[in-house]
Amino acid sequence: MTIELAWRILTQDIGRTALALAGIFMAILLVFIQLGLFFAVPQGGLLLYDHMRFDLLLVSDQYEYQAQPGAFQLTRLIAARNSPDVVKATPLYFGFVKWKSGEDGLWPDLFVIGFDPASAVLTPASINADLGVLSRPDTILVDNATRPIFGPIEAGRVVDIADRREAIGGQYVLGTGFMGLGVALLSEANFARLLPHRGLAMPNLGAIQLKPGVDPSGAAADLQKLTGPGTTIFTRPKLDAYEAGYWTTRTSVGLIFGSGLLISIVVGIMVIYQIVSTQIGRQLPQFATLKAIGYSDRALAGTVTAMSLIIAVAGFWPALAAAALIYDEIRQRTLLPMTLSIGHAALVLTASLAMAVVSALLAADGLRRADPADVF
Amino acid sequence: MAVGFFLADRGGMHAVPLAWRGVIANKWRLVRSSAGIGFAVLLMLTQLGFQEAFFAASLRVLRGLDGEIFLQSAHKYQFATQDPFSVSLLATAKTVPGVKSVSPFYADWYDLFWKSPVDGKVYLIRGFAFDPDRPVLLLPAVNTQRGRLQATGAVLVDRRARRFLGMDRPVAQSEINGVRTDIVGQFALGPDFVSDGTVIMSERTFASVMHASVSDPPGVELGVIKLAPGADPAQVQSALRRALPASITIMTKDQLVAFERAFQANLSSAGPIFAIGTIVGFVVGMLISYQITFAEVSDRLPQYATLKAIGYPTAYLLRVVLEQAGLNGIAGWIPAWLTSLGLYRLIEHIALLPMQMSLGITLLSLALTLGMCLISATIAVGRVIRADPAAVF
Repeated sequence: MTIELAWRILTQDIGRTALALAGIFMAILLVFIQLGLFFAVPQGGLLLYDHMRFDLLLVSDQYEYQAQPGAFQLTRLIAARNSPDVVKATPLYFGFVKWKSGEDGLWPDLFVIGFDPASAVLTPASINADLGVLSRPDTILVDNATRPIFGPIEAGRVVDIADRREAIGGQYVLGTGFMGLGVALLSEANFARLLPHRGLAMPNLGAIQLKPGVDPSGAAADLQKLTGPGTTIFTRPKLDAYEAGYWTTRTSVGLIFGSGLLISIVVGIMVIYQIVSTQIGRQLPQFATLKAIGYSDRALAGTVTAMSLIIAVAGFWPALAAAALIYDEIRQRTLLPMTLSIGHAALVLTASLAMAVVSALLAADGLRRADPADVF
Repeated sequence: MAVGFFLADRGGMHAVPLAWRGVIANKWRLVRSSAGIGFAVLLMLTQLGFQEAFFAASLRVLRGLDGEIFLQSAHKYQFATQDPFSVSLLATAKTVPGVKSVSPFYADWYDLFWKSPVDGKVYLIRGFAFDPDRPVLLLPAVNTQRGRLQATGAVLVDRRARRFLGMDRPVAQSEINGVRTDIVGQFALGPDFVSDGTVIMSERTFASVMHASVSDPPGVELGVIKLAPGADPAQVQSALRRALPASITIMTKDQLVAFERAFQANLSSAGPIFAIGTIVGFVVGMLISYQITFAEVSDRLPQYATLKAIGYPTAYLLRVVLEQAGLNGIAGWIPAWLTSLGLYRLIEHIALLPMQMSLGITLLSLALTLGMCLISATIAVGRVIRADPAAVF
């Protein structure tokens, strides 16, 4: 009877219920947005790794996060390559160079990634289609999310980078993440020419691919013995957790979006509470009647909770659809990788149901006031 | 405060503080509605606060420069990027009439690695350097201690730097790029969204931690110019323009700050993110306020109908409802504003962001609050207009 009664109350005045739905829709949408931002930042930090082929990642023990990884000796990676478990071990080199062909005579800093094109260590199809181009001398591939301050980035344009003339060989789709305002890919030889003080002896990342069937955590421990002190080897899950931890605890990002998330949940509870308690206020004589004919406070509280859960679930779906649109918009405006995964949706649904229950329990307090003797 | 909401004596009718009475009639309901509106306002206030803090943090150093006119590379696109120029150009600038002094300001964001006394790991930090005899920063703690920077290797550290750097600890020595440094004092600046902490030193110490050779000293990031008394900044600026090569930009402090602000506004994600948060807070607040007004109007329908029956015009009743919505908004805004003061302090303490309640945020949040309450009340008020005395009784 609980759910049926709740349903009847809700369908009795459609206009009012529509209003309640609008309220809950906004409250849930708010939670979606804040949650999306909260996860988008670490996700942005993982952008390069999500597009890289590796089972284990070799880094310096001074590793901070992807764009500030520290460097280690190439010989360490070569040592790892000798393990029978390892199929391939590819070094990647990071650096900043001045792009002296920006808009208005400005020289923005370009984040460059040097790697052996033959290794095909990056997964985007737009990169692998142009590996031949990348092997040409003084030719670069530019990320298509590079900001307008760099000027046009069409294939064929010749630009001045660190006082060398470099041809743009094409664009690729990966994203700049937290690497900088502009990112470009270079062959190893080109990297060494552009950053002569860096050379190729000290890579920043070592992407290790294991033989099929080899257990990554076991291999990580074995390889650590080969690569020695001063290096760290991450498995994928450990790396994901480490990067997420960096962004949420080391920077102000976790606090900014975490507090937004927390407030959005409280606001959601307030919204649902307002709606439910208004409904209770309106149906007070009816509730009092039910009490008079023997229903307990608990049973009525159950009805209120059912009512609150029904509108939360009904409000969730349009909020999910709207969130998909808003995520798209934010992704385009901020270049943050806002992705609406099933995990997020499940998390928000759980939060919505919890919000509904909490507000129902708060509002059910008003039911105790439903005294049959008062009402009639 | 309530005076403005007392009804004016119009058309010979009595002035009755009806809106005010309506608001305070049911204390419990007032608490409930101000809590609902208050949380929506609090959401807007935190988003606005973060946005301000973002700009305040990125502009803090520029605003704290002690000079009137500044020289920097014409290619420099933001403050936090190296684009140094030759120190010899400062001597050229010094010869321009109206220029009292030209001081070098050195800076680095990418090459200084500080060994943290917390865990012994090295972290990238921001370093500023100047000639201790020619101060360039308005930070009092730096200027009173600048004499101690004369010794090579002496540094001042930011006690508001992120904690893992250990700059807030009473440590006498550390290392920058493997060079031993003596910590001779502290100042309070705080991190921004690029740098976690700051070290200030003399130009000589800067050259040593940058491993610069004597023949190739580090370049200057900014030339800080003070004007002679009575000199016209615009005239000096154009005279400098004629004296210096095109590779140098000459800006007043306002221009320098505006240039950086434009860069941050155009290229960072912070603006749109916090704007979205504020807008969502506004819409949620509108819905909450609609619920409140709707419930109130529904409850008082008989009273409104009575007023109508005894001759009060509909316009009068509309005003009562709108004023009541405005008062509800203010009743939610006041506790939210007060709470945000504490929340700002807390966030400032934890995140080391310069969260400051400003007049701008105060007025904007109040306007948004009244806006959302009045818009939603206007939508909800339809019932009063239709209130038919005959139907109600």
